Amino acid sequence: MDGFFLALWILRIAFLGVLFLFLYGVARVLVRDLRRAERDQRTELGRLVVVATEGDSPPTGAVFALDVVTTIGRAASNTVVVDDQFASTEHAMLTFRGRAWYLEDLGSTNGTYVQGERIEAPVAIGFGDEFTVGRARLRLERGRT
Amino acid sequence: MNPQEPPEEPPAPTHSARFGAAPARSARGGPAAAPHDVAAPPGHGSPSVPNDAGPPAAPRGGAAWPVPASLWWLPRPRFRRHETGLLALVTVALLLGFVTLRSQQAMADGHDRLTLGDPTIPLIYLGTVWAVHLLFTLTGRRSDQFLLPAVALLGGLGLLLAARLPQSLVTQQFGPYALGLADLQLLWLVIGLAVVAWLAIAVRSDNWLRLYKYSWAGAGIVLLLAVFLFGREVNGARLTLCAGPVCGQPSELLKVLLVVFLAGYLSENRGLLATQRTRVGPVSLPPLPYLLPMLAMWAIALSIVIVQRDLGAALLFYSVFLAVLFVATARWSYVALGAVLFVAGSGVLYALFPHVRVRVDVWLDPFADPLGAGYQTVRALFAFGRGGILGTGLGAGLPAAGGGSAIPAVHTDFAFTALAEELGYLGALAIIGTYLVVIQRGLRIAARSADDFRALLAAGLTLTIGIQTAIIIGGNARLIPLTGITAPYLSYGGSSIIASAVAVGLLLAFSEREAAR
Repeated sequence: MDGFFLALWILRIAFLGVLFLFLYGVARVLVRDLRRAERDQRTELGRLVVVATEGDSPPTGAVFALDVVTTIGRAASNTVVVDDQFASTEHAMLTFRGRAWYLEDLGSTNGTYVQGERIEAPVAIGFGDEFTVGRARLRLERGRT
Repeated sequence: MNPQEPPEEPPAPTHSARFGAAPARSARGGPAAAPHDVAAPPGHGSPSVPNDAGPPAAPRGGAAWPVPASLWWLPRPRFRRHETGLLALVTVALLLGFVTLRSQQAMADGHDRLTLGDPTIPLIYLGTVWAVHLLFTLTGRRSDQFLLPAVALLGGLGLLLAARLPQSLVTQQFGPYALGLADLQLLWLVIGLAVVAWLAIAVRSDNWLRLYKYSWAGAGIVLLLAVFLFGREVNGARLTLCAGPVCGQPSELLKVLLVVFLAGYLSENRGLLATQRTRVGPVSLPPLPYLLPMLAMWAIALSIVIVQRDLGAALLFYSVFLAVLFVATARWSYVALGAVLFVAGSGVLYALFPHVRVRVDVWLDPFADPLGAGYQTVRALFAFGRGGILGTGLGAGLPAAGGGSAIPAVHTDFAFTALAEELGYLGALAIIGTYLVVIQRGLRIAARSADDFRALLAAGLTLTIGIQTAIIIGGNARLIPLTGITAPYLSYGGSSIIASAVAVGLLLAFSEREAAR
């Protein structure tokens, strides 16, 4: 009788113990994750993905890591060179201000389009938004950690 | 812009570009070179090829079994080390729990021995959990490894509770089979796990959610209207819709649909919402034209829910709406506005509806009418107290006294209370900790998503689970007025389990795309 009670009591404590062991197992990995994130800080503010393009360079699927200011156009002096007949020499500019990305048209001939509408002034764009420079369709994505 | 209009450029190429590697591979009929051969040094300003665009023989991160080259088309198995370890702990915990429960019940019958009793229920449940894990491993998932064990643990604790309560609380007749509470809970959990596995493996694109957000919202409203017209009234609330022998509560599913709509709408208009504002005197308000569709959606959902007298769901919808709005715009003015509206709305509801007044009065002083309106809350408080630090032990709590249950609605609204009594303060702490694990993983998936829609959707789904848990645990412990709502994964209830399973399945699917990017 007493042995049985003791065994049952031990099993109950063991049950609670395993629950906390589970939480400890998760917490250990979480802490390691956090340490790692602390060590290698987020280096990219964002990334630019080429969704579709008619020209040769850059190819569809190419990914560019973005700096605070990124210029896009046909000239070789641009950060991202879009080799497309319909793109202007200096076509558009992406800037990171505070915590949001802004897209600005630099007076291009054929314009820069966000969600099918030609932009006149700098517009805020979110991660996942697509815009068109020449015939190249580009998408802004969150940078990798 | 007409919101019903699809974007001018169909996003189909997005999908094919992201997963461009797969069709290119099959077209060449073998493990071919990467479709985008760019011979440029990686680094800033130069194009780098996405890592998953490589040939299939280049796994990245984590161990993979060697597979012969002729089998390149098979999904490559991938060990999920953390998940295996944590699931082993979950298995041990649940088996220990069932042994203590069945031994206690055997002792009540006069047999002093340690026994697992009838092992069918725990074995079927654990078998399903491990099958899902094996499926993830074999298909080479790189998704989050903590969500499944955490959810499996919560579901298992719910199953323990269902097996421990009187089986006659819920019964259903399926042909010759009469299913009791535990059998039904097991059935729903297995279906829920199947939903999780299916969504986590099958969902490759979020376009079907993103593009049809208005359709999803409309479907939710239609579902609610159907309940309002054809629903069955249970406990004074018209919540249940029955099709044949199966009954469900569509408001559970509506919360997922609402989050999908909010995420889609906000990610599309986020820039405008965050930057523009309407000035009314000294107060700067959000731009009203952009908020109107959302406010309409919110008002419709809320009014229907109030008409149905489902206060818990109303509170949940409103909190999730505010939380997602804040996540999308990072502006405190929305939250302040929402809080003011909430206080005003609560005052009106308190004045108008007697059932709201009863809830608040019981919350303020349950002992004013301990055998009437306050009975449920008083019994719940006693249960918490009786549990103490280590609990009474599974099966030894008061709900065992007599044939019935001591707390009304113990298997749905008061699941947390019952477990807190039998597992004690420490057990309750572990349950809350496990919920926190789910929330942390969900928010992490949201923070790491590549685009705003998935970030908002993941955050919204996670916050739905989190806020729902907070509302019901707070209500159980008399921290806030009690509103009838289920504890996700823990409570009995098919609709609740399925809706929460959909949320976790989508989170797993999104974490997979995140890892494979």
